[in-house]
Amino acid sequence: MKTITIDPITRLEGHGKISIFLNEAGDVENAYLQIPELRGFEKFSEGRRAEDMPQITSRICGVCPVAHHMAATKALDAAFQVDPPIAAKKLRELLYCGYIIYDHILHFYFLGGPDFVVGPEAPASKRNILGVIEKAGLNVAKDVIKHRAYGQKITAILGGKATHPVSGLPGGVSKGLVKEEVTDIKHMVTSCNTFAKFTLQLFDDIVLKNKAYVDLIRSDPYTLNTYNMGLVDKHNKVNFYDGMIRVTDQEANEVEKFEGKDYTKHIAEKVEEWSYMKFPYLKSIGWNGLQDGKKSGIYRVGPLGRLNAADGMATPQAEKEYKRMFDTLGGKPVNSTLAFHWARLIELLYATERAKELIEEPEITSTHVRNPVGTPGAGIGVVEAARGTLIHDYKLDKNGLVEKANLIVATTNNAGAITMSVRDAAKGVIHKGNVNEGLLNKVEMAFRAYDPCFGCATHTLPGGMPLIVNIYDHKKNLSKTISRN
Amino acid sequence: MTKTLVLGIGNPILQDDGVGIHVINELRPYLKNLKVKVDIVYTGGMNLLDIIRGYDKVILVDAIKNENCKTGEVKCFTLAEAPTIHSSNPHDISLSEALHLAKQLGETHLPQEIIVIGIVVKNTLDFGEHLTNEVASAIPNAVSMVLAELQNT
Repeated sequence: MKTITIDPITRLEGHGKISIFLNEAGDVENAYLQIPELRGFEKFSEGRRAEDMPQITSRICGVCPVAHHMAATKALDAAFQVDPPIAAKKLRELLYCGYIIYDHILHFYFLGGPDFVVGPEAPASKRNILGVIEKAGLNVAKDVIKHRAYGQKITAILGGKATHPVSGLPGGVSKGLVKEEVTDIKHMVTSCNTFAKFTLQLFDDIVLKNKAYVDLIRSDPYTLNTYNMGLVDKHNKVNFYDGMIRVTDQEANEVEKFEGKDYTKHIAEKVEEWSYMKFPYLKSIGWNGLQDGKKSGIYRVGPLGRLNAADGMATPQAEKEYKRMFDTLGGKPVNSTLAFHWARLIELLYATERAKELIEEPEITSTHVRNPVGTPGAGIGVVEAARGTLIHDYKLDKNGLVEKANLIVATTNNAGAITMSVRDAAKGVIHKGNVNEGLLNKVEMAFRAYDPCFGCATHTLPGGMPLIVNIYDHKKNLSKTISRN
Repeated sequence: MTKTLVLGIGNPILQDDGVGIHVINELRPYLKNLKVKVDIVYTGGMNLLDIIRGYDKVILVDAIKNENCKTGEVKCFTLAEAPTIHSSNPHDISLSEALHLAKQLGETHLPQEIIVIGIVVKNTLDFGEHLTNEVASAIPNAVSMVLAELQNT
């Protein structure tokens, strides 16, 4: 068997490695994405004070501190049997909208968007934020920076601290909002809303009006017919902060809907010895290997997973865009991996609209932002991280110390799908042992759509993602090396 | 007068990854009488840009990985020469890219000089609040290199 390894060697954090296995005929048999997983969190958490978990978990990963902070805080609500006051829930959701706003803006303009805005065939040296500026103009760049910073500022105001929030407590939040902050946030979210609409228009002009891009989005190597999962509110609309976990099938029918606390009844994890990763799947369908279709329990989370798993968006502008996406791409569900980018922008619009609604609510300045906690027990908290469903599961002892902690993070939920997308993209460009020049780009595009939280999902300035492809003959001797830089 | 920032970067719960923070904690007593701003953060890319904007000189203390160097070695270099673990944030753009971008956008309050004190680390994948021995023993060296760099200011 021939082996091709794509290894980001020059990025110093050294995350992520893709191995492509060829069969005797020189076609792709399998491809695996391996991510070095952080180890020992369970042991690290043992014996810690429960109320420290929102701060500790927000440092698990530099990518989504807010999502971890919120999932941990919600797990503590449950563990201490306390329902936060309505104002606290709204403040948390508003904080969360700020996070979605900056995270989605960052991904579209800095990470995923360059593939489209500058073009999938453009040289790697152009497929980065600077290439985007060149194409879209300096004023757009200034707006990108400004609105990303607004999202950060909203989370800093509500979270008490930039980047790593400290406001979440079991039963509520540690701080409310004063009038001046409300005025400030109103101004920022209104501006973000205008910018979100502009960004969707930009996507329209640059991507959707270009037939080649639309064909690429709809092409086979970038299509995966998996189940879809996401949190929904009581009307089955997308919700980031709270709701039930809903799963829909390949015809967009609901197959499961459950409370986060019941996740172990519905989700199991398959361990593959070749990978550090665990592959979650739906228990009711079962593990059937790395394949899509009805008989395989693999599901997708994240923007496209959420939009597919819901019946719509809870705000009017986003709802309109939601319908337009499904109408344009041939109805529900949309299984085109590259449509994650479009879905992400619809969610950005939703987050700005929802933030506008929340900041207008009279309770948002209430000082009753915390309820007293009950006795400690076990608790599970679920939120939608920007990149998908995130689950925190804690068991506390009678003194409120952590006995056991388990997390399922978004990129893990997508592990099976990401692996298949990488494999299919490689299949599209490797035939009879011939490796097409576009291999690196095409494989990168496949996993970048998911916005996975590891090193190789980023563009770097001098020449795109530093990758090296090693091609081995069937005796596993190195026969060829392709390197980007 | 030169406005200087000494910034330790690292994840406090990922063992050697947090070495920058440990170095800053050791440094603080020496810096009491100097007019420099000292801070610790766990972030990268665009966020780092926001933090260093407005200073003339920035000394970053961060972990680096390099297979050709011995664990615990301390290197002093400019940002342009090599990225550190956190100046190349996985989800964000790198600090060098962020600076490049800021320059293109006409930003004027950017540091003239960014010096990196990089400590070669071993374990950044296992959760834990303690450094490995090799990395912990590099702290005095890193501290004196920061102080030497401040004397050049």
